[in-house]
Amino acid sequence: MTETRWNVTFRVYRKKGAAAAHYDEFRLEVDPDEYVLDAIERIWAYQDRSLTFRHACHHSTCGACGMRVNGAEKLTCITPVRQVARDGGVIRVEPLRNFPVVSDLAVDMGVFYRRMEMGEQLPVNVDKREAIQPEARPAGPGGDQLRLADCIECGLCISACPISASSPGYLGPAVLAGIHQHGLQGSERLLELVDSEDGVWRCHSAFECTAVCPASVEPGWRIMELRREVIGQRIRGLFHGPKSSKNGQLEASQ
Amino acid sequence: MIEITKGSLLGRAAKWFDPRWRTLNMLGFILNRVTAIGLTLYLFLHLGVLSLLAQGAKAYDGFIALAHSPVFIFGEALVVAAGFIHGLNGIRIALNSFGIGARYQKALLVLVLVVALACSLVFAVRMFGA
Amino acid sequence: MNNTFYGPRSGESAWLWFAKALSGLVMIVILIIHFIANHFAAPNGLLSYADIVRYYQNPLVLAMEIGFVAFAVSHALIGLRGIILDLKPGAAFIRVINWLFTLLGASAIIYGIWLILTIAGRGAA
Repeated sequence: MTETRWNVTFRVYRKKGAAAAHYDEFRLEVDPDEYVLDAIERIWAYQDRSLTFRHACHHSTCGACGMRVNGAEKLTCITPVRQVARDGGVIRVEPLRNFPVVSDLAVDMGVFYRRMEMGEQLPVNVDKREAIQPEARPAGPGGDQLRLADCIECGLCISACPISASSPGYLGPAVLAGIHQHGLQGSERLLELVDSEDGVWRCHSAFECTAVCPASVEPGWRIMELRREVIGQRIRGLFHGPKSSKNGQLEASQ
Repeated sequence: MIEITKGSLLGRAAKWFDPRWRTLNMLGFILNRVTAIGLTLYLFLHLGVLSLLAQGAKAYDGFIALAHSPVFIFGEALVVAAGFIHGLNGIRIALNSFGIGARYQKALLVLVLVVALACSLVFAVRMFGA
Repeated sequence: MNNTFYGPRSGESAWLWFAKALSGLVMIVILIIHFIANHFAAPNGLLSYADIVRYYQNPLVLAMEIGFVAFAVSHALIGLRGIILDLKPGAAFIRVINWLFTLLGASAIIYGIWLILTIAGRGAA
């Protein structure tokens, strides 16, 4: 940490309940090597205790602190002030796009987490609030319990995706990338899920997801690979005939 | 059951075309979508205008006389540019979708835009020169 | 704000996307041929009615133009439908769009083929 101090103005998105959204300005003296999240915390601590935001690990592992800094999706715990502003400058902080805002900078990730679970990776059941026993967990291709090895489920990709912006039904890059990592593994249910109107065919190769991902998941590339798998399965399906699938039941056939 | 609107239809569609604070990749998406809509409109316009052919020589040749005006040629130059952008970018997207080049798709995008621009300029010069 | 969990709707299948990609690729080939033939190789660049009628006497030209109409209209309408799906319309809406576009597409292609054959027929007279 240096001795330099910069004067930076933070323009922070505020929204409580049904009231209209607006921006509050906070002036702060910051060390340019500090992270944006540190500044937000100081704003909360010393200037406005009603500011709501999420944070946990502070080292890009938990995915809680995703926000838009000057319009671009970032993990604020690893975004130094120096990267996004200069002395005397302004930093605009907003919540992620394409999620309902709960309060200020915190968004509701419920639907997203439930969709991640649809990819048949269930280390913790969101609705039952309990861990599923090891024997019941399906294994990943390597045999380990992988919940998408790199993905920290921060939601930056969903925020960046232009299709998630216009279609709330689109599964989204993280979910599809997770299913690709897990592998279709002959599951008719997963195939129907991704080969659908809300699945891989909604992607239009904007690749904004890959650009903002802080964990090198490369969701854009994974969705393309998943498409190939889907087409392969469908063509194979022409020769093997339709499998009987029990609708609505969780099953991994073959 | 299924809640659709989180905003008006046009409001949601407008988000597609906002390039602010986004990477170059988004430009590719926007260009492809804009040229797609533009070319579709042109397609139906073109099919409509060609009905003049059925009306005989006078009707069609009369229309062609209009086609020499600079405004017209400019419009056609736009169509040619749109065709190049959409076609070349489409090849890139199709390749990506089959797993080819998805990891360096950004470089491919730059290549596509440069080539499309170059070809459009060549055609525009020829069209206005004639 | 709404936070409903939606189930995906199957039906936007791999085949439609495949048709769009395929028609796109075929069109690029036909477009190149169409452009070179119609505007460079053909006499006077086909800028008069008489030239066009004469040009359309060649059955290969007819095949190319008919293929062009069919593929172009299909590609455009499948693509447009995709753009509409990106707005997550209701089930009823998309059914209407499916019917409308099928009708529109079929009409445009039939009209195109009729036009091409009519013009070709003028030359025989």
